[in-house]
Amino acid sequence: MTGAAPTTARRVRRRMPRDLPRFVLLCVLALIFLAPVYWMISTSFKTEADAISLPVQWIPTRPTLDNYREVLTSPDGNILRWTGNSLYVALAFTVLHVGLCALTAYPLARMRFPGRNAWFWFILSSLMIPGIVTLIPTYIMMLNFDWINSYHALIWPGLSGVFGVFLLRQFFLGIPRELEEAARLDGANSLQILWRIILPLSVPSLATLAVFAFMGSWNNFLWPLFTVTDVDKMTLPVGITTFSQRYVTEYGKLMAATTLAAVPALIAYLLAQRFLEAGLSTTGLKE
Amino acid sequence: MTITQASARTSTARAPTPRRRVPLEPYLYLLPHALLFFLFTVYPIGYGLYISLHRWDLLNPVKAFVGSEFYRNLFTPGTPQADFFWKTLWNTTFFTMVSVPLLLFAALGLALLLHRPIFGRIFFRAVFFMPGILTVSVMGILWRWMFDNQIGLVNAAREVLLGAPPIPWLSTEGLAWVPIVIGTVWWTVGFNMTLYLAALGNVPISLYEAASLDGATPWQSFRFITLPLLAPVTLFVFVTTALASFQLFGQSLLITNGGPSRSTQSVIQYITEEGFTNAQYSSAAAMGFVFGLIMLIFTAAQFGLMARDVKGGEG
Repeated sequence: MTGAAPTTARRVRRRMPRDLPRFVLLCVLALIFLAPVYWMISTSFKTEADAISLPVQWIPTRPTLDNYREVLTSPDGNILRWTGNSLYVALAFTVLHVGLCALTAYPLARMRFPGRNAWFWFILSSLMIPGIVTLIPTYIMMLNFDWINSYHALIWPGLSGVFGVFLLRQFFLGIPRELEEAARLDGANSLQILWRIILPLSVPSLATLAVFAFMGSWNNFLWPLFTVTDVDKMTLPVGITTFSQRYVTEYGKLMAATTLAAVPALIAYLLAQRFLEAGLSTTGLKE
Repeated sequence: MTITQASARTSTARAPTPRRRVPLEPYLYLLPHALLFFLFTVYPIGYGLYISLHRWDLLNPVKAFVGSEFYRNLFTPGTPQADFFWKTLWNTTFFTMVSVPLLLFAALGLALLLHRPIFGRIFFRAVFFMPGILTVSVMGILWRWMFDNQIGLVNAAREVLLGAPPIPWLSTEGLAWVPIVIGTVWWTVGFNMTLYLAALGNVPISLYEAASLDGATPWQSFRFITLPLLAPVTLFVFVTTALASFQLFGQSLLITNGGPSRSTQSVIQYITEEGFTNAQYSSAAAMGFVFGLIMLIFTAAQFGLMARDVKGGEG
């Protein structure tokens, strides 16, 4: 499959015909992958009659924006409001999570004190505990705190996660000591070292962690589904589900709603594509 | 912090803090996260055990101690808890056994197609990766509708291409897994593909050159160079994908709602039904522990496998 092209000349001559089947195969696969998304967007512009007509209409014959208008003004839920809720929760979570992880990873990587390794391994071992174990008790805690239907339930419990601490600690360990020592000679205290030296040097890993924290919170489904039942407090993934239960036979509207729900993620992906894939391919596989 | 202290520090090689009384500073840094960690990770484990050993009724302030009753229920055939818990656990296991190999082979196949330069490579990578950024609800609504009995695209395509009658995918036991598995592969294969592409990029070209000098066929290079070098990433992908598949929840909830007759209900969906819909918190907490323990054993076994493999790879 790979390699085995003896000379440059032959490689060049052979490349086009040999690559053609591969290219055609990729095109077919890409079409299959894109079809559902194209179908969703296309249907969102169709009238209800056209959406269910056979044979299927690949291109809407009578394109309309009615579905979007109705979905955006529906009394059953407010997509823009859900998007705002998701944005607020995900941003708050990301800022707090990255901050907490950095504060925790810093002494674990760069200071010496009794119990350092014990604490590191203690919190790291929690990665082994499946989330299902704490689902019910944490829910009861939310009831006791009166946090059901509040953003607190969506933000605070997740902040106890430790993967980010691990990720940042590994990165902080690799920063040369000399930089820190020079700053100490200049009279910097540890907070200044963290803020002026460690963090600026760690922007790539902080950004990776931020992208994953944001995506994790944005796409969270199970927990918000049960802790937030008030329509005005719902996040986008949960809100859009309530839509699908009401509009189960109105495909044009349903697809307009899912298209709107997909747009923020698609835009974010186009902007952060490189970060995302680079982060994914290094995180977890790095030695 | 005085200068003499600081310079003394530089002279003691590798010991950033001089030996003195226990410093307070590191603990202050650890404190905020530690508080949250105890409150939302350590405490709920104990609290969950407590809940599972008592009869938890929100309306009744007295939570009677019942010992292992809710655990025994799970192992007493005939109780609805036992029947549905093991049935849905089997459903989840079945889903894992079907989806993991598909997600491994499809990801490897896509990565092999894309790893050598080709026109439009960045575009193709983006197309295969893109579904993964959609939330599970968009993905679920989309695939429920793709396989809709009346107007789904899949049945419409069968009609047009084969002249075949529509198949009631969502309401036929067994067949209801098809949209869930296909939807999941479509949704997540791009992540695994990216991991494989990164691994393929790290295979030294010189190995292939040497092999081709020795007269190796492309298949032989693949079999004896590429595949062995991909073993660590394959194990990693296998472990992460299997763990994710055992967490099945949103796909089956949204595509089939666990039906028909619970044949696609996942164990997590059943636990949430028992807890949140039936308000049987103690029973659900007990199930959480039993499923959690099964997962823990599974995870530990896989980590053991990974550790052994990494060691074997080095030796």
